[in-house]
Amino acid sequence: MLKACHSIREHILRASFESGQGHIPSCFSIVEILYALYSVMNHRPENPHWENRDIFILSKGHGSLGYYCVLADFGYFDIKDVYSFGAYKSAFGCHADRLKIPGVEASTGSLGHGIGLGVGMALAMKIKKENRQVYVLVGDGEANEGSVWEAVLVAVSLNLSNFTILYDNNMSHQRGLQIHNPHKHFEGFGCDTYQVAGHDVEELKKHVAIKSGTVKVIVAETVKGYGCKTFTGNHYAWHRRSPNEQELQQLLKELHAASV
Amino acid sequence: MRLQFKDTLKQLAEVNDKIVLILGDVSVYLFNDFKEKYPERFYNLGICENTIISAAAGLSSQGFLPFVHTITPFITERSYEQIKIDMCYNNFGCNILSWGASFDYAWDGPSHHCYTDVAILRLLPGIEVIVPGSNKEVATLLQSQYDNGKTTYFRLSNNMHGVDNFSVEFGKGVVVRDKGSKFTVMTAGPILKNVLEAAQGLDVNIVYFHTIKPIDTDLIKEFKHTGILVISDAFGLYEAICEVPQLRVTNYGLPERFCCCYGTIKDMQQEFGLDARSIRKAIETCFTATS
Repeated sequence: MLKACHSIREHILRASFESGQGHIPSCFSIVEILYALYSVMNHRPENPHWENRDIFILSKGHGSLGYYCVLADFGYFDIKDVYSFGAYKSAFGCHADRLKIPGVEASTGSLGHGIGLGVGMALAMKIKKENRQVYVLVGDGEANEGSVWEAVLVAVSLNLSNFTILYDNNMSHQRGLQIHNPHKHFEGFGCDTYQVAGHDVEELKKHVAIKSGTVKVIVAETVKGYGCKTFTGNHYAWHRRSPNEQELQQLLKELHAASV
Repeated sequence: MRLQFKDTLKQLAEVNDKIVLILGDVSVYLFNDFKEKYPERFYNLGICENTIISAAAGLSSQGFLPFVHTITPFITERSYEQIKIDMCYNNFGCNILSWGASFDYAWDGPSHHCYTDVAILRLLPGIEVIVPGSNKEVATLLQSQYDNGKTTYFRLSNNMHGVDNFSVEFGKGVVVRDKGSKFTVMTAGPILKNVLEAAQGLDVNIVYFHTIKPIDTDLIKEFKHTGILVISDAFGLYEAICEVPQLRVTNYGLPERFCCCYGTIKDMQQEFGLDARSIRKAIETCFTATS
């Protein structure tokens, strides 16, 4: 595990402990995806509205705490601010809000909206002939929503070559409607699809950088709760739960063991 | 009204290159000229209303002025969550123009009837809700509201009220008839036609609204001393009027049941007592009871 990703996970654990909020296993599965993406994307943390920036939308809203910790790591704001997560009057809600958080491009939370929003943004860039990219991260549980597939259909029909869907295949769908071989679904829709080890930053970066003639999909094979044995043993129990002090120490120990 | 929408949009698109038209596979031939003239600003995204709203919000976020157009129940009731979050909460201003108000698609049955759109949309913070009853209202209100950074809903209809001699200004109700009566009928949109016919010779004032949100509260207050009867073929107007406190107000509109018959809009209006004859009876009954 990269040092930066270890540090991001540690902040997720500590912020969740402080606030009593968070979907930690869901956040842990996307750390490398977001870290790789923000390493490759054109963006300026010191000027979040820079006109030539690429755009990222977190469609799977449960990952917001992980998203905040990654944005803080890249310098959008101080990580200490994130520790107010979920508190009354905090800017850092349990779903990211574009009106409150620098770098957040669209407020999400209701699942199945991100790809449609991204379609409009990518289309706008095409019309304006701008050389910018749009990235949307969706979860496999979220992909139970019909609007996900409706929007993919539209994205492909518009031939949006500046549009990338990152699919967090962390097996959340197992509790609901199972989606077997999601890469085949995306291929069937006409997307340029890649299956990638979702905790390998270099592999992720390489695939984010690939130019495509149409909509690109990166199916990231991830582990829900990756980094702590406690989560991976029973991530359902930890789906929406924060650690107490004793648990925090145990989780930090496990995280450290996984990182050395 | 659809033709007026087309003509007004054409005029606006000539002077504003940020306008983008998104259709949900409706009125496609009508906008052939627009498509030919502005191929990069015309998109028929098919029958996928959720994505149409989300994509319009995404376009708006990048500086465009989207006009979304398709059939009323599907773009409002089905896509309500997308309108709420993607457009309204995000502050990504868009124009939504529906087609098929209340019972315009009478023959297609309950799936195509839509009388909740005004009521549910007006609940969303920051949205504007417009129920035009004439081409003049379509043209004037589109021109004044299309580029104001808000989500604006225009409820276009097959039918019109046939009155063109009053001035049209966004957010302003219209006193169609002030007889100094102690009774006032308040109504909105095309059904004004039936109300006017019904009220012939009756001693009642008539107040009309094309803008339901924001409703013209000052005008309502001017008639606060009178007994008010709200007549509408959709939910939403009565609720908007009732936000003015201490009114003596009665509602006359749709019952708590689906309309499961077919036929024409006239058949529907008769079924629900919204034809001129039934409305006249309702006015007489209401105001006799309260006088």
